Amino acid sequence: MSSDAGAEAKASDTGLIERIVQRDEAALAALYDRYAGLLSSVLNRILRDTQAAEEILQDIFFQLWRTASRFDASRGSLAGWLMVIARNRAISRLRRHNPAAGEELGENTVALPLNIESDVSQRQLLDRVKGVLENLPPEQRAAIELAYFEGLTHSEIAERTGDPLGTVKTRLRNGVETLKRNLRLVMS
Amino acid sequence: MNGHPIREEDFDLLALGALDADERRELEAHVASCAACAAKLAEARGRIALLAAAAPPAAPSAAVKQRLMQQVRAEARPARAAREKETSPSLFGKWWFAVLAPAGAVLAIATILLWNENRKLDRELADLHASVQQQEQQLHEAREVADLITSSDTVTVALSPQPGMPKGTAHVMYNMKMGMLMYEGVMTPPAAEKSYQLWIMPAQGKPISAGVFNPVSGQSDHWMMKMPQGIEPKAFTITLEPSGGMPQPTGPMVMMGSPS
Repeated sequence: MSSDAGAEAKASDTGLIERIVQRDEAALAALYDRYAGLLSSVLNRILRDTQAAEEILQDIFFQLWRTASRFDASRGSLAGWLMVIARNRAISRLRRHNPAAGEELGENTVALPLNIESDVSQRQLLDRVKGVLENLPPEQRAAIELAYFEGLTHSEIAERTGDPLGTVKTRLRNGVETLKRNLRLVMS
Repeated sequence: MNGHPIREEDFDLLALGALDADERRELEAHVASCAACAAKLAEARGRIALLAAAAPPAAPSAAVKQRLMQQVRAEARPARAAREKETSPSLFGKWWFAVLAPAGAVLAIATILLWNENRKLDRELADLHASVQQQEQQLHEAREVADLITSSDTVTVALSPQPGMPKGTAHVMYNMKMGMLMYEGVMTPPAAEKSYQLWIMPAQGKPISAGVFNPVSGQSDHWMMKMPQGIEPKAFTITLEPSGGMPQPTGPMVMMGSPS
């Protein structure tokens, strides 16, 4: 890694965004290096189509380049917005409907519970969240993953799995409650 | 819904996209007019975003970054030209414009010729820059490979084909101190709608995905990745999975090997 690349790696997301507003291509490249792997994992898991995943990945960072001036760090986290937008776009492509509202950078309202600007912090986060997910009862985890990775609602999950709607609702409700409680514990 | 949601987890279910259309519309309408609930929804979105961790790691190809940076440069050129045009003083309306017009026309033609030449050079420079970046990246990767291969702490594991499964040769090299893992192998291409997936089998806990791949006949696949922290591999396996891979192995084991 060159010294310039080392400095980019240590710059904050907000600092890099400010430089993107000044049309600094190296800052965009640094943000791409920081988050492309994480987003690519989600996109590939949802779409199971490398080409489509890479198209969306490029679109998201190009949108960031064009609209960086609308980003307001006080309203939400850039990493959170990127992860939400990647999932929304992939689900929209998967289900062939138009992207949901709230996709503009200026509408970013995602409060991430921690900073994941470094490679190490991203790995630690992934390990902790994986641990929390693996500790969920399998049927709750399966229901959450169907909603998250396939964009299915309560009713659609019930239809897909053949389980009663009430059972699916209870599983998801208990699942997100446990997730919330345990994430709070591992993030503290 | 006139008041706040009765259950706090409704925000997480909304962020997850699990609510059916009527429930979703009702809650969204309330959140739009309630700052306290909007803040709770922002927190729920952050929590739900973390579920990305359940996806198997998948790095994009280097070509995506190259295409992105080319797209950015292509967009930047007309914008820069427009800004320059806006800031140049207008000549129209000046009495001496008529006198200087013929000379200006000649100058304009020369400028266009120079501008075209400049654009060509710009493009060549952008291509060279992209090529240098790619070479730097390749050099960095080559250094990592060299470090891994030459380190005395590196463990090499040969993976053997399982009975009745497609043939191939594959091995994994990993180094716990460097925290790096490298896969290299030549495998028979999988059937349509299928992918191979490499797994780290830890001494304790569930298998960890270490890459999904679709080999081309006769060509080798190789990649490097970071080892998950604190994981001591007991074995490595390759399974046949639905195209794109799975969070946990579901298909037949094609290759397997253990550290000696």
